[in-house]
Amino acid sequence: MSQILPKKNLKQLLSNWAASYEIYAPQQLEKFAHFMPTNGSELLYIDEQHNTRFPPKALFLPQSETLMKYTRFGAAQETIPESKPRIVFGIRPCDAKAVDLLNLMFLTEKDSDPYYQARRKKTALIGIGCNIPCPSCFCTTVESGPFGRQGMDALLTDLEDIYLVRTLTQTGKTLFAEYPEATEAQEAEAKAVQQRSLKLIDPAFETKGLKAKLDSNFENALWQKFADSCLGCGICTFLCPTCFCFDIADEAQRKERVRNWDTCMFRTYSLEASQHNPRPTRRERTRQRVMHKFSYWLDHVNKIGCTGCGRCVRYCPVGLDIRAMLREFNQLEAEVANG
Amino acid sequence: MTDLESKLTAEIANLLDDKKVDVFIAFKKAESPLHPQPAFFTESNQLGDFVYNSLCQNNLAAFIPRYPLSARIGMVVRGCENRAVNHLVVEKQHARENIFMIGVPCEGLVDWHKLVNRFGEEMIAVDEAKDEIMISYRDRQIRAPRQELLHDSCLRCVHPNPLSADVTIGELKPEGDPTLARTEVAAFSALDNAARHAWFRKEAERCIRCYACREACPMCYCTECFVDHGVPRWTESTVSPAGMRAWHIVRAFHQAGRCVSCGACERACPMDIKMTYLTEKLNEDMRTKYQFECGMDDKTQPPFAAFNLDDKNRFEL
Repeated sequence: MSQILPKKNLKQLLSNWAASYEIYAPQQLEKFAHFMPTNGSELLYIDEQHNTRFPPKALFLPQSETLMKYTRFGAAQETIPESKPRIVFGIRPCDAKAVDLLNLMFLTEKDSDPYYQARRKKTALIGIGCNIPCPSCFCTTVESGPFGRQGMDALLTDLEDIYLVRTLTQTGKTLFAEYPEATEAQEAEAKAVQQRSLKLIDPAFETKGLKAKLDSNFENALWQKFADSCLGCGICTFLCPTCFCFDIADEAQRKERVRNWDTCMFRTYSLEASQHNPRPTRRERTRQRVMHKFSYWLDHVNKIGCTGCGRCVRYCPVGLDIRAMLREFNQLEAEVANG
Repeated sequence: MTDLESKLTAEIANLLDDKKVDVFIAFKKAESPLHPQPAFFTESNQLGDFVYNSLCQNNLAAFIPRYPLSARIGMVVRGCENRAVNHLVVEKQHARENIFMIGVPCEGLVDWHKLVNRFGEEMIAVDEAKDEIMISYRDRQIRAPRQELLHDSCLRCVHPNPLSADVTIGELKPEGDPTLARTEVAAFSALDNAARHAWFRKEAERCIRCYACREACPMCYCTECFVDHGVPRWTESTVSPAGMRAWHIVRAFHQAGRCVSCGACERACPMDIKMTYLTEKLNEDMRTKYQFECGMDDKTQPPFAAFNLDDKNRFEL
């Protein structure tokens, strides 16, 4: 069963929550959407169809995070965050699923990352589905969808004047406890919106057997072809909601040890102290990004490490498109099979 | 295929067929309507994907330093790209005789930031006519005046025509009006220190250190950038205010007398950070203090790189 949240009540609801939660929601930064803190008084940027440029993974795994502070002679002090309970409001299904995937990396039973854990455990995700997906979106290809629920505590469907709220966890139920149940007609309307959206997304590439094709073409000349156009900037990986590689640096003048996002696109990635780099050129680095998501993730946790948000496609300054790259690999294997 | 594209294709095909170049650097169609992809044609039969339009946002001269000096490279160049090639020759990044430039007078580039910030991310195709840009969605098409969507660097462009191309296709355009760039520089310079610093911080502190500006710039070809240097570390690698300001200031400084005002840095930025207000200020200083404009020929050293044993001037800091 679903509930109804009239849009005009949203500000009040957020300000009620703000008494006991830190709330983050998409707002306008320059001219694009960006997750920022709110207490209900800010103008939200969620009715627009675009997702945020910068991925909400940063709310759980900040781009730079101080792990500890130290002094010259004293003991080091870990700086595990002690935040209030938090709500991330207006997260899209691709990004919520991405947070769920990051859990597999940072919240394992054996050893959880205390910094990630402190943020994740205290955070509720209230998602909003995508009525009009972008042409660059390919969530349905990678086992998600414009109204996917994975990782969320509640999912909203935008129905003009109201949101239809589907609560998915006890936390979600508590947050929306006071809102009335939806009528059958409203449920049906939401379903129609969801199905219409689903139909707008075409399958982008074949995932079945893709890992084997990538693994068996590790030395294929295609990697060099893709690398030729690649600039070697960090856009695709920094804007990716699932990329989690990091590097640890000592900011000695501030006496802090900091964990920074790293990216396989940079020439300093996996550069060893001896100056040897097992990924010495753009070819190996371009390959690393694709192989990590569509092969190594499967080796580690049997999941594809991509949720189809399309940011790498939309913001690549040279139009390198991971969908097209993977289709070329699909094609390649087919040719071998035909021959 | 537009008339210009057909003419260019024919010209490029001849160069490749006659083996006058080893590689021709140009653009090909990509699936995303906003970002045609740099492509490296070696055979004329690959040219089916060739595309040349106002969305070809990269300065392709940035790819030249990847090649050995002996590689014979062909390129389509606009005014700014021609100047970038010239300056790369000055800096000995390639040999002029090994570059064949097909020049095209430039109508200005459409800024993808302006497009998506105004028309959203749902567009499936973007086409252009002389004065109009047509944006197609799944269910409708809208039109907007080209002038409103041009990149800022193109709006203030002074040299839209190729200067030293081996062949030029299309009608030359009138030179641009230099006052616009100067007015913008003057407006920034007129602010007091605190206001200038606030402006700088507002832009720089949004930075995510992806270095797309660096990688997109034809002049940023160092094999090791100062921010990547590990021992000693010259700057914080953290996205702290200090680290981001250090990056943006030093990046701009390294461009003194080396910037051709193409704006590729800004167009590559995923966070809509303005950067050219810094480099345009440097360019204006070069023009007024040293009567120098980068890339106007392929021989003149920029003032800060020129070195002469008989220099009569005092050493000054």
